[in-house]
Amino acid sequence: MNALPSVLGVVDYYEPWWVQIIKSVVFFALGLQMVPVILLAERKLLGRFQGRPGPNRVGPFGALQPLADIGKLAFKADFRPRTSIGWLFALAPIISIVTAAAAFSLIPFGDTVDIGGTKVGLYGVDVSIGPLYLFAFGAVAFYGIMLGGWASGSKYSFLGAMRAAAQLISYEVSQGLALLGVIMTAGTLSLTEIVNAQEGMWFIVPQFVAFLIFLVAGFAETNRAPFDLVEADAELVGGYNTEYGGARFASFFFAEYLNILVVAGITTTVFLGGWLLPFGIDPPHWVDPIVVLSKMMAFVFFFVWIRATLPRLRYDQLMSFGWKILLPLATLNAFVTAIIVVLHDNGTI
Amino acid sequence: MAEVVFFLAAIGALAGAVGTVAVRNPFYSVLALVMHLLSLALLFLLLRSEFVAAAQVVVYAGAVMVLYMFVVAYVGGTSMPLGPGGTRSMRIGSIVFAGVLFVELAIAILGTGLKALGTEGAPYEPGFGTPARIGELLLTKFLLPFEIASFLLLIAAVGAVTLARRRGGLHDAEEQRITPLDLVRPVSTGTMAEAVGTRTNATTRERTGLEYGGHSGRAGPEDGDDGERTGLEAGVAPGGDTGPEDR
Repeated sequence: MNALPSVLGVVDYYEPWWVQIIKSVVFFALGLQMVPVILLAERKLLGRFQGRPGPNRVGPFGALQPLADIGKLAFKADFRPRTSIGWLFALAPIISIVTAAAAFSLIPFGDTVDIGGTKVGLYGVDVSIGPLYLFAFGAVAFYGIMLGGWASGSKYSFLGAMRAAAQLISYEVSQGLALLGVIMTAGTLSLTEIVNAQEGMWFIVPQFVAFLIFLVAGFAETNRAPFDLVEADAELVGGYNTEYGGARFASFFFAEYLNILVVAGITTTVFLGGWLLPFGIDPPHWVDPIVVLSKMMAFVFFFVWIRATLPRLRYDQLMSFGWKILLPLATLNAFVTAIIVVLHDNGTI
Repeated sequence: MAEVVFFLAAIGALAGAVGTVAVRNPFYSVLALVMHLLSLALLFLLLRSEFVAAAQVVVYAGAVMVLYMFVVAYVGGTSMPLGPGGTRSMRIGSIVFAGVLFVELAIAILGTGLKALGTEGAPYEPGFGTPARIGELLLTKFLLPFEIASFLLLIAAVGAVTLARRRGGLHDAEEQRITPLDLVRPVSTGTMAEAVGTRTNATTRERTGLEYGGHSGRAGPEDGDDGERTGLEAGVAPGGDTGPEDR
């Protein structure tokens, strides 16, 4: 009956099927709820950075603005250009949002806890292949963008999708190599184990180079400024989602922000000790998700800050930076880490 | 549950494989191949080899097929549907080769006698298919094939670069290098910090009495500095000041 979940998980205890269903619902709802929050936070912060109030008309302090936006988008009529390819046009946003939600389930918000006699892991799924799962869904997510751009039958969409393709494969390599350093240091692929391995010292200290590389590549992967050439609005109108409107556009938009949360969550988990607190503070287990969420929100703030600060790169600069600086640096980091890990295991250091 | 997933994935894999060769539009052909590869990954997952499944998706669907799609979307697309091209002899040759391959595969599969069909299959041991186990095998039992395969990939990469260079594909004439110098440029040569007014040019401020100081981000080299500070701009007269009238 439950063959598939038990295949996916490395958990050494059995989670009843109803726990798994509740967990899926809770995690999806959590992601769903966080997107409007960071959307509002971003617009408010961008306003502050640029010396204007930001949204402040709908609801108290403009707090209902995301709700109004979503309502507007959801009730719009679906339309598509005559040159588009119908079923692919409709499929692309679905791929994007499904893969983003699947990647979100990887973020651990806490260790296994005992709730009313049932052991429940505070994560969607803890796979033995950890980050590879993330990259697998990242690979599939590419098709959402690519098909969206291609099936629109529009030059701007097509150019945006092409840029996305090149950017994604260029920076994914560096991202993977940066994570390799962490994985070698921790000696495991499971994300909860990686967090537990950071007891005493967060990996941002020994793996600082990897942290920087991962962060930069994360900006590129999520199409955020200064790497938002995929949807450079001055050149491409809106990139791959130019021809989209209504709920389909909302799906793309949603997936994009969910991906920001995923990058923030993975960075928190891998480099900032997940639910661990520094200085030996050991709060009860129910605090863990709050700690993780706070760290994620700090990253979201950083993302917005960068967006408000840095101008967009030129396309050739993006490519040459990715391949000629970031990739060699990531390779060197993995190489040096491997040597140090081996020497450490042999007792030389 | 497992049976349902198996049949879904198997149908997907077969349909994808047939679609790859049967569809005329190259873009759909690539999409069908992607579907085939994803279905195969699902089958690997049912065999409890998570690592192989993830590698299948990351490497094939994520890297190889992305490049295919890149090329097809740029070069081919809907405007150039694939036809039954080639000469008569080529068509006959392809049929012959397909037949030979079919016979070979049939011999290989049927030659085993299909003895395992009636059994439960190979037993599952904990730890099978994990990255640790696969890595151990690759570095011990299959070290030589592994190294040969990576060497082959290296040769292919070097060959691609060589071919591209021979055809004049790689010319780096107008290429602009990014160096760390871009980040630590001298004062008042148009750095970002100056553009937002956080870093000010002390000399200019003293001389012109400007409170907020700093140059605009647009400042070019000749708009820039006092000669004695950096001495970089030969064209600027010594002490050539950029007063407020420059802005």
